[in-house]
Amino acid sequence: MAKARAIVKRLKAVRNIRKITRTMELIATARFKKAMDRATEAKAYTQKLSEIVADLSAAQLRFTHPLLQPHETDRRGVLLVLTANRGMCGGYNANVLRLAMQRIGEYRTAGRELVLEVSGRRGLAYMKFQRQSVDRRYLQFEDKPRFDEVEQIADRYINDYIKGHIDRVDVAYTRFESASKQRAVVDTLLPIERIDQGRGEAGGHDFEFLPSPAEILQELVPAAFKARLFKCFLDAAVSEQIARMVAMKRATENAAEMIHTLSLQYNRARQTQITAELSEIIGGAAALE
Amino acid sequence: MATDRRLRLVIVTPETTLLDQDIRSVRFPLFDGQMGVLPGRAPLVGKLGYGELRYHADDGEHALFIDGGFVQIKGSVVSILTGRAIPVEAIDRSAVEAALEEARLRRALTDEELAEKQRDQQRARAMLALVRGR
Repeated sequence: MAKARAIVKRLKAVRNIRKITRTMELIATARFKKAMDRATEAKAYTQKLSEIVADLSAAQLRFTHPLLQPHETDRRGVLLVLTANRGMCGGYNANVLRLAMQRIGEYRTAGRELVLEVSGRRGLAYMKFQRQSVDRRYLQFEDKPRFDEVEQIADRYINDYIKGHIDRVDVAYTRFESASKQRAVVDTLLPIERIDQGRGEAGGHDFEFLPSPAEILQELVPAAFKARLFKCFLDAAVSEQIARMVAMKRATENAAEMIHTLSLQYNRARQTQITAELSEIIGGAAALE
Repeated sequence: MATDRRLRLVIVTPETTLLDQDIRSVRFPLFDGQMGVLPGRAPLVGKLGYGELRYHADDGEHALFIDGGFVQIKGSVVSILTGRAIPVEAIDRSAVEAALEEARLRRALTDEELAEKQRDQQRARAMLALVRGR
């Protein structure tokens, strides 16, 4: 009976695990929908911003802003790494961290100074393991990043960049491309290379600008940067939920498969045992005759 | 301009589209003072200040606090882009008072710090004025 019992025990354990992963999958699905809604709602703001940029570009002005100009020397950069607070999401954290480590390596070999900022418990644990000193840590970003919180970070970057304390801001995160495709990337957010322009219906409207196109742009550039940084956080949140959903779905399927093979094994073991017992009885009876 | 008597107000923050509604008129703070918009306004792009946005809709008058940003008027649509928009009823008075106190006591040594301090103070006062008026 020993083998069959052991298999029953394992079977029970696997069934429990399947229950857990299945629940986690459902939770991730619900959270993904919420995060996705937030991301779609946030799109309206970026769209409007780029529309205004298009309207302004009709005003034909030459224009510079400190955030648009690369610094002459590129000595000190910020790398912001966005990871999850929790695991159980497949390669989501590992992919981002691999890219981040690559970028850190580039900085070290070039002898440039690096300010490392990490969001998410997973990333922090990894950096500790790699013996990288983390300058700032964020744990408050769960699956619903708030604009207020992101804005504080953005404001600090803007100030530091304008004052010349930092020469570049990179963000390592998972970009959401579609529901079936997310990719870990390192994006350069500062200096801003260009500001996206919406579909400008040129000449359609003759806008009045208050106070002036230049001053509006002055204000618009930081707003565009903040919106972009916020989008990084939103993308990371959505991608995390998708990654967790997929990972848990796979885990559930694997558990189901395991239950199948284990039941087969159990049946076989049980049968062998019965056969053995029968032959023992028959053997015993035969010996008595 | 008797052709188009409709006016649509869209308020977008980075997090969400807060409002998308047909209205009769709207008043909001521009960088240098209040501005009122009635249907048929010429196209405009402007920089916003902080303060009270008040609009008349069919179901009455509503007020929000908005915190900088931009306005775009195009055809019959008024789009307000702002970092934060809080309905007046939702403003937490004690939090605003604390913010004002903090800004008032903050040490400002450089020009930028001073500008920031003044800006924060003015913003808190504007918010407080709204709360008292309600």
